[in-house]
Amino acid sequence: MATDTGRTADRDRGVLEQLNDRAFRRLGVVGTSLFALGVVLFIGYILLVRVDYALLVEIVYPQFTFAFLRVIGIVAISSVLSVIAGVIVGLARVSRTRLTSSIAKSYIEFFRGTPLLFQLFVIYIGVPQLWSGSFPLEQFNYYAAVIGLTLNHAAYVGEALRGGIESIPDGQMEASRSLGMSYIQSMREVILPQAWRNSLAAIGNDQVILVKDTSLLTVLAIPELLSAFRQINSSTFDAWTPIVLVAIAYLMITVPLGKVIRTLEERADPATHGGDD
Amino acid sequence: MDRRSYLKSAGATGAALAAAGCLGGGGGQETIQIGSDIPYRPFEYETTEGELVGFDVDIAEAVFAEELGYDYEFVNNSFDTIIPSLNNENFRVIMSAMTINDERAEQVDFSDPYFTAYQTIVVREDSDISSTEDMRGVRVGVQKGTTGAAAAQSLKEDLDGELEINEYDQIPDAFSALLNNQVVAVINDNTVSAEFVNGEGEGQVRFVEGEGAAAEEGENAPPYLTLTVENYGIAFRQDDDEFREEVNGALAAIREDGTYDEIYSEYFAG
Repeated sequence: MATDTGRTADRDRGVLEQLNDRAFRRLGVVGTSLFALGVVLFIGYILLVRVDYALLVEIVYPQFTFAFLRVIGIVAISSVLSVIAGVIVGLARVSRTRLTSSIAKSYIEFFRGTPLLFQLFVIYIGVPQLWSGSFPLEQFNYYAAVIGLTLNHAAYVGEALRGGIESIPDGQMEASRSLGMSYIQSMREVILPQAWRNSLAAIGNDQVILVKDTSLLTVLAIPELLSAFRQINSSTFDAWTPIVLVAIAYLMITVPLGKVIRTLEERADPATHGGDD
Repeated sequence: MDRRSYLKSAGATGAALAAAGCLGGGGGQETIQIGSDIPYRPFEYETTEGELVGFDVDIAEAVFAEELGYDYEFVNNSFDTIIPSLNNENFRVIMSAMTINDERAEQVDFSDPYFTAYQTIVVREDSDISSTEDMRGVRVGVQKGTTGAAAAQSLKEDLDGELEINEYDQIPDAFSALLNNQVVAVINDNTVSAEFVNGEGEGQVRFVEGEGAAAEEGENAPPYLTLTVENYGIAFRQDDDEFREEVNGALAAIREDGTYDEIYSEYFAG
């Protein structure tokens, strides 16, 4: 940009770098402070001017409370199932048997390559139509939600686990096998504990996305948080009161979930956990 | 169905229509500007060739042009701001499949009703539901934010809360849910439901029949059970009584001479 500074840098690199670092830090402080100030002013304006607290109290129970509990329930079930299914997908993906690994690969390609919204429609509208009118399950929308979230996120968890397994040097498997361990034993005792640690960040990230994906369930006529927002907005024309509630509700799930994941990561990392191997 | 807002294409259509209005309106007559939220099938929408058609458009042609001898042009305006726009004199009247209700009547004056929509119940062919009381404890499908959803909500109150409502994004999803055994009934506008009952759902679904709100109001009641009656009206500013009377006369005239029925059967067969 400026040839002057370029020349100065040549002359006295150390001093300039220090100056630049300090200026850079200051710029960061000023930038983030301004940003934070803007956000605080905006939120303050919303909370003081835009939010109708009488309406807020009216809608927080039962509508939002039930929507919130419903989301937590669906997340809890889908989350556990998707991690279990994801481990299976991941193991199949790294299988040395061509057939198994290519089936797992196609599974991942499909569920990562098409939108979750589309998958939900396939499950909820497409599948029951195969029974042409005599589909036996009532309230299939809840099943469809859990099935859709599980199948979709199993693909992401599987892929994360594959990355974790492949980051372990081949030598470890070879060494375990040469010690007389079976493939399963080597996986369970040696590879997976390390692979798990390596992929935990990616899996946790995916589980946070799973929470947010529940917003798509509004199209399955499940009264979750976004449906509650839409219903209140269309009947009162008040947008900001339900927006504030929706934001709080999602963050009440994702922030603690993030904490749990960080704790798990720390526990799985021998460097921070005193190394009990 | 209550109107939602369509913001798309507002500018382009408005400009095109304004230009067309200038070209055609050289006869010294007054041009009546009509505010409308386009597209809203089958009331106002554009064909793939860009021609504005629909039930409202044909009624406007019959009333304003043929009966009263005015030029007219449609001005696109999103539905949620259409009443303030009328009162700001952005156009003279609103024709936008607008249901006459008390809240709106506080801000505008309505013509006599020119279209009637009913909230009706559609069930599977083999269903044993034949009255609103039979709906106790069942699950119904509706479209989010529509007057069908509102009708379901008030039915729920009538049934002491013993009604479950599944709210879908779009009405085809609610009909799919009905065919797939996910809901027992769908509550929706008669004209839209009739297209489904006589179309893709033929032989699989039917209207619940019987007397309902329409019969109570002594209307020329359709054969199926109606939960509510919604009348569409043309909206005027509150200081425009003279013109409103003129239009009411023209509406009566086109009902009299069969023009109305002709237009009606063009858009709502059956």
